[in-house]
Amino acid sequence: MRAMELLQGHPSRTLVLQNRGVETIMHSLVAIVDDDESVRDSLPDLLRHLGFDAQTYSSAEGFVESGAVGETDCLLLDVGLPGMSGPDLHRELLRRGCSIPTIFITAQSDRSLGTRLVAEGAVACLFKPFSDTALLDALTAALGTGA
Amino acid sequence: MILEPSTEDFAQLLGCINDLVSVAGLPAIWSRDEPRQIGATVLDALFGILGLAFAFVRLNDPEGGPPIEMSRVAPPLGEIARPRDLAVALGLSSDVRAPRPLPKSELQLDGARFRVASVRLGLQGDVGILVVGSQRLDFPVRTEALLIQVATNHAAIGLQRARLSLAQRRIAADLDERVARRTAELSAANEELRREIAERGRVEEALRRSEAFLAQAQRVSSTGSFSWCLDTDRIVFSEELYRIFELEEQSTVTLEQIGTRMHPDDAPLMARLIEQARQIGGNLTYDMRLRMPDGRIKHTRMFGNVIVLPDRRRECIGAMQDVTLRILSNEALDKARTELAYVTRSMSLGALAASIAHEVNQPLSGIITNAGTCMRFLAADPPNVDGALESSRRTIRDGHRAADVIARLRGLFGKSYVAAETVDLNEAAREVISLLSSDLRRQNVSLVLELGDDVLAVAGDRVQLQQVILNLVRNASDAMSDIDDRPRRLRIGTEREAGDRVRLTVQDVGVGFDPSAEDRLFDPFYTTKSDGMGIGLFVSRSIIERHGGLLWAASNAGPGSTFAFSIPCRTEGGSSATRT
Repeated sequence: MRAMELLQGHPSRTLVLQNRGVETIMHSLVAIVDDDESVRDSLPDLLRHLGFDAQTYSSAEGFVESGAVGETDCLLLDVGLPGMSGPDLHRELLRRGCSIPTIFITAQSDRSLGTRLVAEGAVACLFKPFSDTALLDALTAALGTGA
Repeated sequence: MILEPSTEDFAQLLGCINDLVSVAGLPAIWSRDEPRQIGATVLDALFGILGLAFAFVRLNDPEGGPPIEMSRVAPPLGEIARPRDLAVALGLSSDVRAPRPLPKSELQLDGARFRVASVRLGLQGDVGILVVGSQRLDFPVRTEALLIQVATNHAAIGLQRARLSLAQRRIAADLDERVARRTAELSAANEELRREIAERGRVEEALRRSEAFLAQAQRVSSTGSFSWCLDTDRIVFSEELYRIFELEEQSTVTLEQIGTRMHPDDAPLMARLIEQARQIGGNLTYDMRLRMPDGRIKHTRMFGNVIVLPDRRRECIGAMQDVTLRILSNEALDKARTELAYVTRSMSLGALAASIAHEVNQPLSGIITNAGTCMRFLAADPPNVDGALESSRRTIRDGHRAADVIARLRGLFGKSYVAAETVDLNEAAREVISLLSSDLRRQNVSLVLELGDDVLAVAGDRVQLQQVILNLVRNASDAMSDIDDRPRRLRIGTEREAGDRVRLTVQDVGVGFDPSAEDRLFDPFYTTKSDGMGIGLFVSRSIIERHGGLLWAASNAGPGSTFAFSIPCRTEGGSSATRT
């Protein structure tokens, strides 16, 4: 799969962190990967207001091809994506050693899915529609205090 | 001179009386009345008593047959053994009808001379003739002649008796024979009668079996038969028909009574039936409902035929079948089918509910996030009013999206009427585009509009057609959402087709679709979007088909796909309200 091939050439995330220093934490880059328009439209404003940088992608392949994998500090990942699914992307990133803190967001209602994903290493799994406070809590857990 | 009898004469007379007594005793022997026996004993008696040289008797057959001839001969005449030979010698013709002269009194036989005495038997000599002969020259003396006469008389009497007896026996035998014959005839007649009775019994048995068979057939098929005399209105019901009508068996049935069993709504049918039978005749078939006193409804089918009897009376004979069970089971079957169809459509209700929740949760999520953002903007110091406005705008848009999803779903399960209004497809397309313009711009979709000038109006439901256009444009836009190496060009075109049709085409340069999935594209719940419900194209096709049109997809020569629909302009396209 194309996404896999692209992951081969990226530097590991730990290196990037060290290069950036403390400033990175102040403006952590959150990548939003969701194929739903409403979600991609509404989240960046909120995240920026909360003090994060935000980038949106409509597919896992889009995210990987963008080259921003190494710069992403936190991943807001939809479960159901066209092509490679969210969990698959997460597993592949882990396999490659790219352990970006990942918060899953999903429109599905199966609560056991959340438990499974967290067991696989996700920071949290939020079920749509989720409140902005719930999102902030998850981001704090992923990155420490925000702005 | 008185001659005193001499001792010799006396002895002769005594001897004669003795002989006479002997002869007189002869009849006692003749117990059997047998002519031969009589003849034989007479011959023997005379032969013995008179010491004859020969004795011959011929007894005639009263019925004209050959006479009985018997003889006795003394040794000198041993050669003439047979009676016939003796008869010939005596000159007796064998023909009984020939004149019968008595033989001469003297005869020469074998060189010897004999004296012959002949006596006729019977009053007219018709019984027979006796001839005796002796070598004594003085034969017969008076006593001998007397003896012969007496013996002959006795013989004649005996023979008469024998004849009578024979006649009697004959009559008796005849009678017996007649009786036997009669008895045999009666026997035969009796036998015939018995056979007839047995046959009758068999026929009756067969009739009983046939009737039982018929009654059974009627019962099993819930069919009763009837006859109705059109002139007298006399009605006869079969057992089963009484049961169908729930009337007392064997009771008199009248038209009024039947009327009371009719369903009130079918009373006109019965009136029509009666009129048709009386005025037109022929074959009648009616489906009628009966109503029992306790309210139960029975469905019946009646077959009748009006016939004209030899005496000009008209009769309607027919059968009536209780088809309630069949009607009810058909209704139940229809109901079950409808339910099954409904359940089949709702079969993936669980999955559908999940899909619905999934689809609706997306815009809801947007609404809540946007509203939260809006509050934070307003709570900031200073308040970010522009940001708040933008968040609010997005909230409203997401709300509409949610409503949109619901509306699409209703199309799948609800009854939709195609409102018959005149729709300008170009205008409808422009409205949809204006609705989506901001979204398309945001997604960097460059729109190319090629709306034909000669596109005629179509008859249909504007909102539903716009729904279809919206669906196609959104799909096209989504298909290009990951395309970055070329402009995201979306072409919408309308043109007039041959046969007074209008075609609308939506063309993109997106990811396209798998050719093997082409026929599945329009299936319900088919989606390439992981969170898509897959009902968009399914519903769109239903809408177009209700308009009498076609919706199809094709891969482009280059990248992307083209979706198009074509609907007729004329009224037969979809002017009548059709129910899905």
